[in-house]
Amino acid sequence: MTILSSRWLLRWKWTVVAVGLLVLIALWWAFRPEKLWVNQKVNEPAPFDTSADPKPVLTGRFEAKAEQTSGRATIYKKPGGEEYLHLSDLSAPIGEDLHVELKGARDGTDLGPLKSNQGDQNYDLPVATDLSKYESVAIYSERLHTVIGVAKLEPF
Amino acid sequence: MFRAVQFAGTVAMLACVTGFGQEKAQPLETGTFHGKVHNTSGRATIYKEADGKLLLRLTNFKTSNGPDVHVVLIAAKDADDDANFLKSSTEKLELGPIKGNEGDQNYNIPSGTDLKKFQTVSIYCERFNANFGAAPLEKF
Repeated sequence: MTILSSRWLLRWKWTVVAVGLLVLIALWWAFRPEKLWVNQKVNEPAPFDTSADPKPVLTGRFEAKAEQTSGRATIYKKPGGEEYLHLSDLSAPIGEDLHVELKGARDGTDLGPLKSNQGDQNYDLPVATDLSKYESVAIYSERLHTVIGVAKLEPF
Repeated sequence: MFRAVQFAGTVAMLACVTGFGQEKAQPLETGTFHGKVHNTSGRATIYKEADGKLLLRLTNFKTSNGPDVHVVLIAAKDADDDANFLKSSTEKLELGPIKGNEGDQNYNIPSGTDLKKFQTVSIYCERFNANFGAAPLEKF
């Protein structure tokens, strides 16, 4: 048996090697394992000039907490360096003495009373606000002492 | 004289509000990537350019490198991590092979694309029909 198989091997040796190679090449093509280690970096600029416009830095969608809240919160940086919060498509409850706040793990900054419970509005951020300290924008009710809705901020 | 200045001011303001704003690229929709099997992160934003063309831009983007990876829009609210598209017969719109697995990049979206239908960006491995990561888009 061993003699027979070794004879067979001797006879078909090159065929076995060729087929094996083909299988290896096919496996390599399918899985491209080297790509696990090779990163392909690109850095395309935006195809439009935005240098003169306020630049969105952080953004997030409002999620309802105590009451129904929806819309988007975006922090913009002006070319001059000033930052402001823009609320878009906001829909929040009426009354309740609502305030807009920046919230972090430890820090909280009141940006003032909510200007309107509907629509787009801007709030200036205090000069030299350290945005890394804050994680979200909250609509807070001073009357109920509860968070009405929260928008988690993520890099734009 | 004062009237004339006032009028000029009003005209300038109106020009700013109506015409000027439309000459710039506007972000229409945005969302962040999730993907666990092939760690994918970053942001996808669809812009409408001044000439009306639609553009997808990926920023802070990172995914795993792989064979035959493409950027597609899919007609779904979101995609599960590693969801198999062909079986779920999800309609997809090819935007092109991925330019890099790291960094900022732009992709043209064919004109006339219905963004109400295609609501999610997917990093899609054509060869294995696997979803590397998905970014559900929401109004900016």
